[in-house]
Amino acid sequence: METPFTHAAFKPDAAFAGAAERFLELLRSFGMPGAGAAGAGRDWSSLAGPLAGQFEQWLKTSQSAGPWFAAANAAASGPGAGVGAAQAGFFGPLPLGAGAAPQQDAQRTWDLVARLAQLQGQLASHWSEIAGTAARRFVARLGAMAGGAPSLDNALKLYELWVSCAEESYAATVRKDDFCRLQAELANTSAALLVEQRRHAETLVRAFGLPSRNEVDALYAQLKDLRRQLAELAEAARSRGAGAPRPARPAGTGRRKRPRKARA
Amino acid sequence: MRPFAPDAEAVFAELTLRIAQTLTRLREVQGVTVGCSAKRAVWSCGKTTLYQYLPLAEAPSRAAGRPVLICFALVNRPYVLDLQPDRSLVRRLLAAGLSVYLIDWGDPDDADRCLDLEDYVERHLGGCVRHILVSRGTSSLDLLGVCQGGVLSLCYTALHRRDVANLVTLTTPVDFHTPDNLLSKWVRELDTELLRQSGNVPGEALNGLFLALMPFRLTQQKYVRLLAGNSDQRALEDFVRMERWIFDSPPQAAVALAEFVRWFYQENRLIRGTLRIGGKRVDLAAIVQPVLNLYALGDHIVPPGASAAMERCLGSRDYTGCGIDTGHIGMYASRKGADEIPSRIISWLRERP
Repeated sequence: METPFTHAAFKPDAAFAGAAERFLELLRSFGMPGAGAAGAGRDWSSLAGPLAGQFEQWLKTSQSAGPWFAAANAAASGPGAGVGAAQAGFFGPLPLGAGAAPQQDAQRTWDLVARLAQLQGQLASHWSEIAGTAARRFVARLGAMAGGAPSLDNALKLYELWVSCAEESYAATVRKDDFCRLQAELANTSAALLVEQRRHAETLVRAFGLPSRNEVDALYAQLKDLRRQLAELAEAARSRGAGAPRPARPAGTGRRKRPRKARA
Repeated sequence: MRPFAPDAEAVFAELTLRIAQTLTRLREVQGVTVGCSAKRAVWSCGKTTLYQYLPLAEAPSRAAGRPVLICFALVNRPYVLDLQPDRSLVRRLLAAGLSVYLIDWGDPDDADRCLDLEDYVERHLGGCVRHILVSRGTSSLDLLGVCQGGVLSLCYTALHRRDVANLVTLTTPVDFHTPDNLLSKWVRELDTELLRQSGNVPGEALNGLFLALMPFRLTQQKYVRLLAGNSDQRALEDFVRMERWIFDSPPQAAVALAEFVRWFYQENRLIRGTLRIGGKRVDLAAIVQPVLNLYALGDHIVPPGASAAMERCLGSRDYTGCGIDTGHIGMYASRKGADEIPSRIISWLRERP
């Protein structure tokens, strides 16, 4: 399922359609007609399980495509993924898959991919915790709303309650130190993977005699240094000028000609 | 127990119809325009452009007054300050007769990935200030920094005291380690060296991060709420304008972003007095000019405490801090923000000619 969270781009109609679909899905879980999810006489507390399942699925699809994760997915595209076959991630089209790297470098890439998969597994357990807590919280708070007269207003109130429970559960988990550390490690591992891929690409472009990213960056550093020196010289010249004001040039005098060098 | 009786079919049908209608109307207004006041580019440096807004015909002429330079965040587009005629801080300032300039940082590409904070503060922001001062023949201007742009403005003011007469900051963090700052907690252990090496960060990536702070409210609930009221065409257009702005974020130059994360979010150098830009120490106590600091009480990106901490660090004896009862984006784009913020800024500046 697409959400604006997965593909952060300007598509308000698609985002609305996705959110509305989720809303309907939720209502169906509550036993609205057409879904058959809830039979008559059903114990309402049994909703917590399916609700948590749906929610967990949404969290996974929403979060798994973060910027660094997208890069990692491209990296993991396998030995068959050579130049031009890699997926386009948030960082743009990646030039190489791990399988395209020289043997000695490929191991490091595969290690990073494996570590990333491990971390994503740990992340999934947090999503599971959030989903379970949110669903239990929601069922506990249903109170007077459950069994209310069916109306659009009531459906929306129920939805607002669900969102509050979801946000509260989410906030409680994502503020924990272990979650923050895990998220940082995920980002760092993904970034390391990206850097590793770019290192492979550097080797390739050097082989073809093309300027590499490192060389361009070195040129930029030189340019920046020159710019700084120029600014310092200009500042020094301004200070000298301010200290000893230049006498006004007599009217009618144009630009002074530079004295010609005497020919040898 | 069930929340709905089995005869809810009518509600379901009504809801389905309303969804279809809203979807159609959203598609109809998708082409709404953003930005409403006339402006012209007057200076540029790399991808950065300085714009001067043209005075409004009906505004009182105060051409001789001190110019106001708006310095927006690097992470979003500045047109949110001039989104539409009835929600435009820029327009309100122009209507008060102020001469308004605005910095648009543009879209850094791979040629700009080594741009650092010194470049942004000294060459780009500094270049804009110097251009205005020279072209207007004035010795100082009023600087209005927004969010991250407020941080850059604080740095510039501390380093170039004489250039800034009055400083206004909106939703500007100073203490990046307040306990309620989730963004700060999340990036605390990021490897900024890897961030620097992995290249420019696309705007979509940062958007994803901001949305992840409150994913259900920001990616689900706000759309479903469109079903609740009888949103008229204009309200839908307002909504879509904001959506366009929210999802229209520029890429971030790798080095500048890595520095910002490390120096501000991780090491909290600004409030600790250990920040150096271009080899010079940024000392907030050196800011002695009048400061108006407006922050949002319901801000999930810059918690109010992160901004209110400014009062303790400045050298200014004329500090006005004010929390507004809205959220981060509401400061620029809500009806409340559109009414209250410009009025406060204008009256505050008028008292400090």
